[in-house]
Amino acid sequence: MIANGNRILQVGLILFAWSLGDSSPVAAQGRSAKTPVDAAKPEKGTNGDSLPVDFRNDVMPILTRQGCNVGACHGAARGRGGFRLSLYGGNPLADHEAIVRHLKGRRIHFADPESSLLLRKATESIQHGGGEVLSWDNPLTETLVDWIAQGAQLGQSDLPTRIEVQPRRAELKSTSDRLSIQVFAKGPNGQSRDVTELTVLTAEDSSAVEIQREPVTITVNRPGRHVVIARYLNHVVPLQISLPFGGNAAAVNSSAAQRKQQHLVDRYIDLSLHSLGLPASGQVNDQIWLRRLCLDLTGRLPEFTELDQDQYDLSQADDRQRVIDELLQSPQFVQFWTFKFSQWLRVRPQLSDAQAVRQYRDWIADQIRGGVSYQQMARELILASGNSQQIGPANFYRTAQSPRLQAEFFSEFFMASRMRCANCHNHPLDRWTQDDYHGLAAIFAKIPTRPMVEVNPFGQVIHPRTLQPAVQRLPGERFLEQTEDVLKGDQGRQALASWLVDSQNPYFAKAFVNRLWNHMMGRGLVHPVDDFRDTNPPTHPELLSVMAGDFTDNGYDLRHTLRLIATSQAYARSSDVLPGNQHDDKFYSHALPRPLIAEVMADAISDVTGVAERYAEMPIGTRATELVVTNVRTRTLEVLGQCDRSDSCETGSLPVDALAQNLHLLNGPLLNQKLDAPQGRLHRLLAAGHRADDVIDQFYIAAYNRKPNADEQQFWQQQLRAVGQDRQLQREVLNDCVWSLLNSFEFKHH
Amino acid sequence: MKPILSYNWDGRPRRDFLRLGMMAGAFAGLSASQRSIANNSGPAKATGAKACILIWLDGGPSHLESFDPKPDAPVEVRGPLGSIATKVPGVRLGECMERTAEIMDRITLVRSLTSPLGEHAVGTHYMLTGYQPTPVLEYPAYGAALAEVHQPRSVLPAHIAVPKFDDALSGNGFLPTRTAPFTVGGNPDSPNFKVRDLEFYPGLTLDRLQRRKQMVGQLDQFHRKLQQADVVGESALQRAYQLAASQEAKQAFDLSQEPQAIRNLYGRGGGSGIGQSCLLARRLVQRGVPFVTVGSTGWDTHQNIRTLKERFPGDRNAHLPSMDRAFAALVTDLESQGMLDETLVLVMGEFGRTPKINAGGGRDHWPNAYSVAMAGGGVPRGVVVGQSDALGERPADLPVTPADLAATIYTLMGLDPAFELHTSDGRPVRLAPDGAEPIREICGVTERDA
Repeated sequence: MIANGNRILQVGLILFAWSLGDSSPVAAQGRSAKTPVDAAKPEKGTNGDSLPVDFRNDVMPILTRQGCNVGACHGAARGRGGFRLSLYGGNPLADHEAIVRHLKGRRIHFADPESSLLLRKATESIQHGGGEVLSWDNPLTETLVDWIAQGAQLGQSDLPTRIEVQPRRAELKSTSDRLSIQVFAKGPNGQSRDVTELTVLTAEDSSAVEIQREPVTITVNRPGRHVVIARYLNHVVPLQISLPFGGNAAAVNSSAAQRKQQHLVDRYIDLSLHSLGLPASGQVNDQIWLRRLCLDLTGRLPEFTELDQDQYDLSQADDRQRVIDELLQSPQFVQFWTFKFSQWLRVRPQLSDAQAVRQYRDWIADQIRGGVSYQQMARELILASGNSQQIGPANFYRTAQSPRLQAEFFSEFFMASRMRCANCHNHPLDRWTQDDYHGLAAIFAKIPTRPMVEVNPFGQVIHPRTLQPAVQRLPGERFLEQTEDVLKGDQGRQALASWLVDSQNPYFAKAFVNRLWNHMMGRGLVHPVDDFRDTNPPTHPELLSVMAGDFTDNGYDLRHTLRLIATSQAYARSSDVLPGNQHDDKFYSHALPRPLIAEVMADAISDVTGVAERYAEMPIGTRATELVVTNVRTRTLEVLGQCDRSDSCETGSLPVDALAQNLHLLNGPLLNQKLDAPQGRLHRLLAAGHRADDVIDQFYIAAYNRKPNADEQQFWQQQLRAVGQDRQLQREVLNDCVWSLLNSFEFKHH
Repeated sequence: MKPILSYNWDGRPRRDFLRLGMMAGAFAGLSASQRSIANNSGPAKATGAKACILIWLDGGPSHLESFDPKPDAPVEVRGPLGSIATKVPGVRLGECMERTAEIMDRITLVRSLTSPLGEHAVGTHYMLTGYQPTPVLEYPAYGAALAEVHQPRSVLPAHIAVPKFDDALSGNGFLPTRTAPFTVGGNPDSPNFKVRDLEFYPGLTLDRLQRRKQMVGQLDQFHRKLQQADVVGESALQRAYQLAASQEAKQAFDLSQEPQAIRNLYGRGGGSGIGQSCLLARRLVQRGVPFVTVGSTGWDTHQNIRTLKERFPGDRNAHLPSMDRAFAALVTDLESQGMLDETLVLVMGEFGRTPKINAGGGRDHWPNAYSVAMAGGGVPRGVVVGQSDALGERPADLPVTPADLAATIYTLMGLDPAFELHTSDGRPVRLAPDGAEPIREICGVTERDA
C-alpha cells in the first residue's frame, strides 16, 4: 500500500505546477495571484509534494505513458470495456469527464482513493483486460491517488506549448555508449519542467536502438542514423542518434572557404559521409553518366534523344553542363516531364471524359514547354474555373471524388503531408488536427467535382466532432475570417493559394525539391516523399533547406534544380559499393541502382527493338509515357507494374509477381513479337547485310550506350561459332542476344 | 551484397506501407526490446505436416455466421441467419455450413482469436505473418518462411497463390523475392482457365529458352551487379524457365485432368472460384508444393449480412455455401487420398465482424474475437479450443493472438517458432514473435514445456 503521510490536500487552491526560470515573469492563469513559486520546484518524480495534482499536466501524461489511451486499448473509437479515452489524450476535457463522471462516478472514490475503480483496474487488483499497467509501489500510482484525494480536479495550470529534448541530435562512438536524455515541457510564459520520466520514447527501428528507463538512456547497436520519437501529451519531437559506420570516411574539405567553393549538393553530402565514416564510391564513366542523365531528364535512352553525342567531350565539365542544358531544352524533356506531372497530379479521366483529360495534359505540357514557374502553375491550378473540357487546369478539381479526398490529395502533393488520420482524430504523430483536415476540406467544398468547375456558395463539409459545418482553415495556420466572400464565394481558395505559394510557406518548395531529388537520386531526402512530418526528419536537413531556398530564389524553376542536382558529384557516383559503404542506403555514398518505371521500360523496349507497342486504339507509335488514358490497362504495362494514378505513384512501379513477369518476358508477346517483327531493328539490320558483330554492337549502343568490351565480344563470338554457318541459326542467336540484353540488370536499371 | 532498395523492377517493392498508423501502434508497447537468444539448432523437425493450404477469406469473414454462431443471443447479435447442429454434440455452426457440419469430427475450431488491429491492411499483415506491422520491416507470410527454410521438392514454386495473394502484402516481406507467392491468375472456375505464359511462344523451343537464360546470367556476371537473391540458379528468370520447361508443372495446373465428380464436389459456378481453387491447391500439394494460399475476396460485409447466404432468391453460390462446399470437399478429398494427416488446412481472414448488426443490416470490423478453422496436419479432431463470450465480443477463455496462431502453424509444420530467419542486412528475426505460444491444446506439449 501507499504511504499516505505526505499527501497534502490543497483542493481548490490554484497553484502553478511549473518551475520557473529565475527571471521569467510569473503569470499564473485564472484567479490566482501573481505568486512566485520558485519554492515549488518539483524535487523529483512527477509532481512536487506541495502542488495539487493537475489532470492535464500530471494525470494525462501518465495515461499516455502507460499506454492506456492507445488505439488498441481505451483510445479505440469505441473505447474498451465501456471506458473510452481520447486517442493519445487528444481531448483532455472528454477524458476528465470519462474518468470522473461516467459510470456514475464509480471510477473515482473520493473518500478512499485507493479503492477507485481507475486504480483497482490499472493495478489489476480486480480483473483488467489490459493486465497490470501500474503497480501499487509505482510513484505514478501515488500521483493518481493524490489527484483523487485532492478532488480529482481538472486543474487550471497552463498546458505546455512545446517540449524540448536534450539532446536533439547526438553521435555515439560505440555500441556501448549510453546517451542520457532529458525532456522539458515549456509553458507559454517561459515555464519549464522536467518531464523526462513521463515522456514516451519510441525507436523507429527497435532492433537498432534500445531505450532504458530509470534513468532514461539510449544505446545503439547498429551503425547508421536512427530516429527516436519523444512524446509528451500531444507533443512529439524526433531525436536523431548516429553511430558511425567506421569505414575510411570520405575526405572532406577541411577549410570553410574551400567548402564554400564546393558544389552546393556535394558540400552537404560529403559532410554527412564524413561524419558517418562512410567512404564514397568513385564516379561513373561518361557513357553511364549520359545514360543515367538521359533517362532521368527525358525518360529515354541516349540513342533515342535528339542529342548528338559526337559534339561533346563529356570528360570536360563544361561539355557536361552543355549536354544537361541541351536535354533540358529538348522536346523530349517536355514530353517526359508532362508525364511526371501527370503522375504527380494523378491525371486520369473522370467519367471517361477523355476530352477534358487531354486538355489537362496539354496545359501541363504548355507550362513545361514555356518554363512557367512551379509557383505560377500551383496558383493557376488552385484558382482555375470554367469548363474542364476547355480549361485544362480546371481538371485539378476533378482529381478526387469529394472535398475531403481533394484535401488529402492537395496536402499530399503540394505539402507532402499525409493528413488522412486527421479525418477521424487529431493526428497522433503530427501537427494535424481535425480542424485542419475538415477546414481544408471546407475550402474545397466550395468547388465541387463537376465538369463545369465553379463556386458553389452552399458547399460545405460537416465537422464530425462539432456536427456543424467545418470552418475553412489554412492547415496548421489559421481559420479564415467568416466574411461573405469566404462563406459564399471564392475567397477561401484564394487565401489558400496565396498562403501555399508564399516564399515563407514551410512545405511548398521543400516538398517539390524533395520530389526532384528523389527522381534523380533514387531516394528522397525525406522519404517517402509525401510524408513530411516532424517525426520523419530529412536525412540532410540543411541540404533540403538550402535547395528549397535556391529553388525559390531562382523563380521556382524546375530546370534550375534539376541542373543543380545533375552537375553534382553525388549524382555521378558509381553504384559499385566499397568495403564500408555496402550497407548505406540513404547517405549517397554510392548510387542506388534504380529500376526503370513501367512506362519508361516499355518505351525503351520499343525503342531498342524498333517496334512500337500498341496501346488500345491510340495511333501506332504512341509512347507509354504519352498515354493520357491510363485506365485502359494493357497486359504489357500491367506486367511491368504500371501505376494507375488513382493514388500517389511515388513508390515507383506497383508490386509485380517476379515469376509471372519473367514467364511473360520469356513466353509472352511483349519481347518475342518485337524481335520477330520484319520491320524491327534486328531484321532491318540483317536485311541490310550487317555482319553479326556489327548488329551486336548496335544493340549494345542502343540498350547500354556503350560497345561490348573484349570479354563480351568474345562471348558473343563463341555463341555464334557454336551454331556454325546456318543463317537461320545465326539469326536465332542474335534474337536471343537482344532478348538477353533487354533482360539484363544493366538494361533494367539506371 | 546490395542494400535493399525501396523498389525493384523485377522483384517487389518494399512498400513503406502505413508508416504512420504503425508507429502509432508501436507506442502501445513500452517494454524494452528483448533480444532473442539464438536457437538455431536446425529448423525442421521430423514430425509435422508436409504442406499447408490456407483458405484466406479476404475482407474479414463474419465469425457469427460461420464458425461461431450465437443462437441464444438477442436478435441484434444473433443476426438473421440460423445455426445447425454438427457431427460433434454441442458444437453448432452457422446454417450455411451444412457440409462442414457433417465433417466437424475432423475439425478443430479456435473461437478465441483476438487482435487489436481492426483495419484491413494491418490486420492482414498480422494474420498472415504473425507480426504486427512496423515501419521498418515487412515480415514474410507463412508460405514465404516455409519456402525459405525448405529445400525445393519440385520445380513448382514452393509458395503459390490461387488465383491471387492478398493485395495488402508482398508476401515475401524481408525475405528474397523468390519466396514471394507465385500468383496463378485468372479464375480456376472458368472453362478455359490456364496459367498465363506457361506455354512456349510460337517458334520458341526449350533449348532457346535455356540459352536466353544463360545469356542473361552471363551478361549480369559481366556487369557484376548481382544481388544476392539473383545468384544464378535462384533468379526469377531461372525459376520462370524451369516452370515453363516442366511438363509436370503444366500438368499440375491442369484441372481438366480431374474427374467431373470431384470437380463438382468442390463446387463450380457462381463466380467466386473458391471451389476449383481449392481443388487446384490439392493438386499442387499432391505434387510437393509446401504452401498454397487460396484467395477468396468479398468478405467485407458491411451491408446486409444475408447476402453471405444468398444474393438473390435461389442463389446456391453465395460466399458461405461456396466456402462450405469447398472446405468440406477439400478435407474429405484429402482424407480419401490419405493426405489429410500431412496436410494442414486453415480457414481464416484478417478479423471477425461486430457482434451487433449495424444499421445497414451488415457487420463492421471486429478484431476482438473471431474464429479460425483447422483440419488435418495433426490437429485434434472434432474439438473447439477457446470460446468467445456469450455475444461473440471477446474471448471467454484461452485468448489466442495472431502471434500465437503463427507459433501454432509453424509448430504444426514441424518448425520451431524460435527459429531465426535473417534480413538482408543480417538481422535475426524469429519465425513467430518472441512471447508467442503455440496453442497447447492443438500442438500438444511442446519441447519448450518439457
